[in-house]
Amino acid sequence: MANSVVLVGPSGCGKSTLLRMIAGLETITGGEISIGGRVVNELEPKDRDIAMVFQNYALYPHMTVAKNMAFSLEHRGGSKAEIAERVGWAADILGLKPLLERFPRQLSGGQRQRVAMGRAIVRNPQVFLFDEPLSNLDAKLRVVMRGEIKGLHQRLGVTTVYVTHDQVEAMTMADKIVVMNAGRVEQFGAPLDLYDRPANPFVAGFIGSPAMNFIEGQLTPNGFVAKGVVLPLPPGLATGDAVYGIRPEHFELVSDGLPAIVQLVEPMGSETRVTMTLGEHRVIGVFHERLQAAPGATIHVAPQLNAVHLFDAASGKRLN
Amino acid sequence: MKTELSPRAQTLAYLTLCVLLIPFVFPTRWMVTSSVKPVSQIFAFLPDIWPRAFDFSSYSDVFKIQPFALQYWNSAYIAAIVTVGTMIVASMAGYAFARIKFPFANAIFMVVLVGLLIPSEVTLVPLFQLFLKWGMINTHWPLIPVPIFGAPAVFATFIMRQFFISLPVELEEAARVDGLGRFKIFWTIALPLARPALAAVAIFTFPGSWNLYLEPIVFISSADKFTLPRALTQFTDAYGGPMWNIQLAAATMTAIPVLIVFIVAQKQFVEGPAHTGLKG
Repeated sequence: MANSVVLVGPSGCGKSTLLRMIAGLETITGGEISIGGRVVNELEPKDRDIAMVFQNYALYPHMTVAKNMAFSLEHRGGSKAEIAERVGWAADILGLKPLLERFPRQLSGGQRQRVAMGRAIVRNPQVFLFDEPLSNLDAKLRVVMRGEIKGLHQRLGVTTVYVTHDQVEAMTMADKIVVMNAGRVEQFGAPLDLYDRPANPFVAGFIGSPAMNFIEGQLTPNGFVAKGVVLPLPPGLATGDAVYGIRPEHFELVSDGLPAIVQLVEPMGSETRVTMTLGEHRVIGVFHERLQAAPGATIHVAPQLNAVHLFDAASGKRLN
Repeated sequence: MKTELSPRAQTLAYLTLCVLLIPFVFPTRWMVTSSVKPVSQIFAFLPDIWPRAFDFSSYSDVFKIQPFALQYWNSAYIAAIVTVGTMIVASMAGYAFARIKFPFANAIFMVVLVGLLIPSEVTLVPLFQLFLKWGMINTHWPLIPVPIFGAPAVFATFIMRQFFISLPVELEEAARVDGLGRFKIFWTIALPLARPALAAVAIFTFPGSWNLYLEPIVFISSADKFTLPRALTQFTDAYGGPMWNIQLAAATMTAIPVLIVFIVAQKQFVEGPAHTGLKG
């Protein structure tokens, strides 16, 4: 099974540029890009055996859905019967059969998105490139289309490189995630590896929602000493300045825990999100209990020790 | 966003528009109605709002006095070639300036634009010398390539360039991924989407060539080679005075193709499809 790789990072981190380099739409000044073992540095996009889905879909407005999907095959010299068969096959998979004679302007956002995918799969390329394909859809449709793209990947088994700034999208769609920041790859790994063992505070803060809490302080034999609070530590750590990271969902409500003063309670139904101060640090906790506490009340919480992340204060490197 | 006018404001707006319309409509009405009146009625005081009797004989007289059909054809084919030629040159040049990266592109475009500042009258004498040398005086040649590569085409290139700049670059990138080269992208993607801009070019190029007056006077001397504006000056009596009703009948017929081109081309303006394949 081919991999689905997701490039994720904040706006301007270079993820789309990297995708466009793979596509051949940007020239590279150094290094090597190879697809299926073939170096493609000098090849035009059309010769790279890739298909791309653009953020704004880039459907040809003056062509019908069928023509949009057949266009690349026509220019590659396929026979009419073969093209019709491929278009029919792709339309079947994506449920586009009734829309084939329509023009893009007559389609909804989700339908356009599907046509853009149809245009990509019809060619049976070696790699699919998706450039933030869901960012123009509303939240509900985004979830539906996310499932469809994942289903498509599983069905076709073609290597997929997918760009998004949405870490939830990245987590759900990827076999492997590349987290990027300011033009650099911060970490590459399986989604849960990135969640469980982020390499640095950037990855730790980017992956997971709500974002991880960070508390600056010192590692000491007695625990992690921060302003107004001493946090428990897993055993076997050196001493020194560090950053203590704990995800909101890794706090537990325990009667003998650390006292925290409630600032804000947000009941979400399945969970309760609590903004609270721990010593002098403002942190967020997510609890499955239905907590009813007024702002100013004290609750007792404890971080799960096996879910504590420690980073060097100077270099940001992971310590545990 | 649409703002709804109150009925009173709407009436006032329409009345103002009607008043503003008068200086545009009145000369045309005068031309058309006078073409079906005898001369005595044209100059009657007070003039009739509507002709008392319709006399279409001036329309047939137009063809008796001059080879008007041939002159009509001359104007038609010259204007058609100039319009199509300008559309081809301007769309290709505009696309190149908008999309192809080449050294000094913007500086070259500025130099091209400066061409607009040179009045055509300034180049008339040198052009006459040139065409005389080439043996092209009293032919239609001077009326075709000069506008296609001259000031009207510069303006047309500007319109096309601005349009192509606004065309989403992703459409062309998608076409590159789909396997198209530069010219095919221009021909199958950019140009079909440029219909509104091409219509704009046609709307001002066709009348520009159709109404060209000074150049035919300078370059053409025989009646069978005249274009219509030049021919219109020839409907005169033995004393050199204009034969008003015949001249206005010829003028009315002269105006019709421009009107048709405008009606056909302006439809293309209304909704350009260029951005409808994008987003949700």
